[in-house]
Amino acid sequence: MSGGIARGRLAEERKSWRKNHPHGFVAKPETQPDGTVNLMVWHCTIPGKLGTDWEGGYFPLTLNFSEDYPSKPPKCKFPQGFFHPNVYPSGTVCLSILNEDSGWRPAITVKQILVGIQDLLDQPNPADPAQTEGYHLFIQDAAEYKKRVRQQAKQYPSLV
Amino acid sequence: MADSVEDLDSLFDYRRVQPIAILDEDDDDDEYDKPPVPSPKKRKISNHNVEIVGGDREASQVTNDDEDWLLPPPKDSSESPKQIDEDSTIKELRLRKQELKALTSKECLFQYLESPKRQSDSVQADLESGAEQPSKSDHERAKIVISIQDKDEVKQFRVYKDEKFERLFKRYADKVKLGIESLVFMFDGDKINLTATPDSLGMDDEDIIEVLAKKS
Repeated sequence: MSGGIARGRLAEERKSWRKNHPHGFVAKPETQPDGTVNLMVWHCTIPGKLGTDWEGGYFPLTLNFSEDYPSKPPKCKFPQGFFHPNVYPSGTVCLSILNEDSGWRPAITVKQILVGIQDLLDQPNPADPAQTEGYHLFIQDAAEYKKRVRQQAKQYPSLV
Repeated sequence: MADSVEDLDSLFDYRRVQPIAILDEDDDDDEYDKPPVPSPKKRKISNHNVEIVGGDREASQVTNDDEDWLLPPPKDSSESPKQIDEDSTIKELRLRKQELKALTSKECLFQYLESPKRQSDSVQADLESGAEQPSKSDHERAKIVISIQDKDEVKQFRVYKDEKFERLFKRYADKVKLGIESLVFMFDGDKINLTATPDSLGMDDEDIIEVLAKKS
């Protein structure tokens, strides 16, 4: 059963994450109402990079792993309506390393995924738009785009 | 009927019951109550009691008491047959107490430093709690290494798994020369309560606690 492979790998990912991860990031498997841990869904936090308009924001991201992981990448979702040129209206992140048909490799770790998405926040890829509003502001109205990004960072403050 | 009365009689035969009752109760009772036994016997027993108390930490008192009790021996010796019985049991008890006390001597000393007046009380308390304390200190105090990470670096600390985080956080705050109240410690995205412990959060060796400076 391939699920065994997925869960085994995810247990390893979790173990190594607990001992070593970049500052400000959170990544933990979902705890179900009955107290058991579901390794197939992770709740994460990506901090906006310091020195960018994203600084100060702690953006919630959900990773949904399939039974085919790590042959296939997890689906990574911000909250619905997240403002970013490469995020679909549903919140799903569009990034080459998360695409089974282009950049995904089974060796890519959860840490690499999250750091990759953090990089994407401040470096959108205009060649691969996923929402109209973020995309149009990004290429047409830099000032308004910046304003919206800063606004959104304030919308997701740190928990402290 | 006559038979049962005889049975009851034998039940209350003081020759059998008395020594045991004395052994159980006398150590603390004779401080406050008048013991129902004649004084020579009481002396004998409290003599042992003082030996225990004094043996460790009341040297001056012991000498005084000993002088007092140098007088009665003639009486004692007249009762020698009973005493041999008592002695063996008392001795057993006493040895057990000493054993317990050796295990908890640190705690005892500590309590004595804090409350030198409640001598006999705390001796009793020590003896009663003695059975539990060694097990606590022996196998519940497992240690764990915890990493505390700020935005620049990771520092590692060794702490008891059942120790409140308050102490670790104070150590950390001292090290980075910041007030503990200006720092926030997080594990897995959740703020850590000062009264939580590594055990209560299910932490493993080298798990990371993230520390953030509070915005003012």
